[in-house]
Amino acid sequence: MAGGDVKPAPASPCQVTNSAFANVRMSQPLQCSVCDAVATVHLTQITQGKVHKVHYCEACANKGGAGDAAVFQLADAVSAATTAPTLVCPTCHFSDADFRRSGRLGCPDCWPVFLEALDGLLMKVQHQVQHIGRAPSGALALGQIRHRLQLAQTEIAKAIAAEDYEVAARLRDEIAQLSAQLPAE
Amino acid sequence: MSVQDILAAENELTHMLGAQQAVVLSTRVRLARNLSGFPFPGWAKPAQRKEIANRCIDAFSKFPRFRKAHVFKMGDLPDMERAVLVERHLVSKELAAGKSGAAVISRDQTCSVMINEEDHIRLQVVKAGWHLRGTWNIAEQLDEALGASLGLAFSDRLGFLTACPTNVGTGLRASAMVHLPGLCLAGHIEKVSRALNQDGLAVRGWLGEGTEAAGNIFQISNQQTLGLSEDAIMKHLGTWIKSLVEQEWNARRKLAAEEGPRFVDRIARSLGVLRSAYLLSSAESMNMLSHLRMACDMGCLPEANRHIIDRLMIEGQPAHVQARRGEELDSDGRDMRRAASIREALVSFPEVGPPTP
Repeated sequence: MAGGDVKPAPASPCQVTNSAFANVRMSQPLQCSVCDAVATVHLTQITQGKVHKVHYCEACANKGGAGDAAVFQLADAVSAATTAPTLVCPTCHFSDADFRRSGRLGCPDCWPVFLEALDGLLMKVQHQVQHIGRAPSGALALGQIRHRLQLAQTEIAKAIAAEDYEVAARLRDEIAQLSAQLPAE
Repeated sequence: MSVQDILAAENELTHMLGAQQAVVLSTRVRLARNLSGFPFPGWAKPAQRKEIANRCIDAFSKFPRFRKAHVFKMGDLPDMERAVLVERHLVSKELAAGKSGAAVISRDQTCSVMINEEDHIRLQVVKAGWHLRGTWNIAEQLDEALGASLGLAFSDRLGFLTACPTNVGTGLRASAMVHLPGLCLAGHIEKVSRALNQDGLAVRGWLGEGTEAAGNIFQISNQQTLGLSEDAIMKHLGTWIKSLVEQEWNARRKLAAEEGPRFVDRIARSLGVLRSAYLLSSAESMNMLSHLRMACDMGCLPEANRHIIDRLMIEGQPAHVQARRGEELDSDGRDMRRAASIREALVSFPEVGPPTP
């Protein structure tokens, strides 16, 4: 598939032409283990007598490069994140086995429980593991502040190297102001 | 409160109340949010889902944008009405398939919320044409109000916590619905789609995930939701959409120049069939309406007629045809009704002319 044609995920034709109620009546097709899409690439891996089935939509399979070694790494990441039978969320009792089945977590508290196990998968689907966007109303967007601080620190180094002290002074003030918003480590 | 109100109401997408544009049909912003202290819908018990739905409906009903909003509980809606909401992109197939989901839809259908889909809250803002900033500003205001009225699941490291790792962080899916007949006719669409995929954008069909691109309409959206600011996500999408619009126009101009009279003939034949056919399937009508929409963009037909095409595309979907008729129809019955509505709407269309340079 790598380097092959990327087509929009194939439709079930009934959504376009046949029964009007196909959308709500038809049985749910297999879902991609990574995202919501309909899975069209199905991998079966047998390791030490255990059968692991992983389903991908075309987009996610392509991202992992279905057909080459990379997709099996992605499959490994899913399996590795989920085969160990030891992880259970203390809040909602959701287990890694449940994640393997559904590809979804049980509750917000599952995130810190499964984070380490999901790290590889998260890097594969998101490429990043630090939030730098909005925070809910009233909460400080710490990720955003840390990100801006990091940018300002890179820029101040450049400004000093270029002997642009006017810019450096402005950045120094910005760094002080941003640092003051962060809680003491 | 019925889905008939949704069908009868004039809104941006069907009646050109807002700015209409060639190529970009609509812009959409979606935020995934969850309440802290509750399991995600897929893991929650029925009583918990009920409690979540009550809290969310209560919160949204108090926001000015949702004044007199439509509230639909999926379990109470007949199949046909749920299918209409799916066809309007107001709820997902997943929400419509379950019994415990609910939807809150603003009067003008610009803002809608799915409750108990994959996440507790999926907030959507949609506008006709290309208006990413405008849609985002509304979504951001609503998100602010939401955070102030409900405790949202959030972590400094991972941002807004979602049921699926593909949405965590910003929970933002920004998308544009684009009409690309030029790139499709020229055979470039797969190449373009591959380039978009490689740069982190998903390309889907008209009805979202897992659907084909009926009427040469595609939905382009960001994939990554974590580690990028909302601003960066929107800029990335914006850059690509701008480039896509340019590429589409280049493909159309090249096609018109190379094909000459055959380019106009294709459009004229589509108009001829749509104006006289007695049976029209959804796929056939979508593809011919796509030709007419391109004709309106290019001056072969009056630009003022474009919104009629957009409305016919939406109202020609199977559940819409039946809901407007008020009864279930078999395939022939639907194709007959669809053809009749289209014939009637196109009566006033003038003859197709050559494209304006």
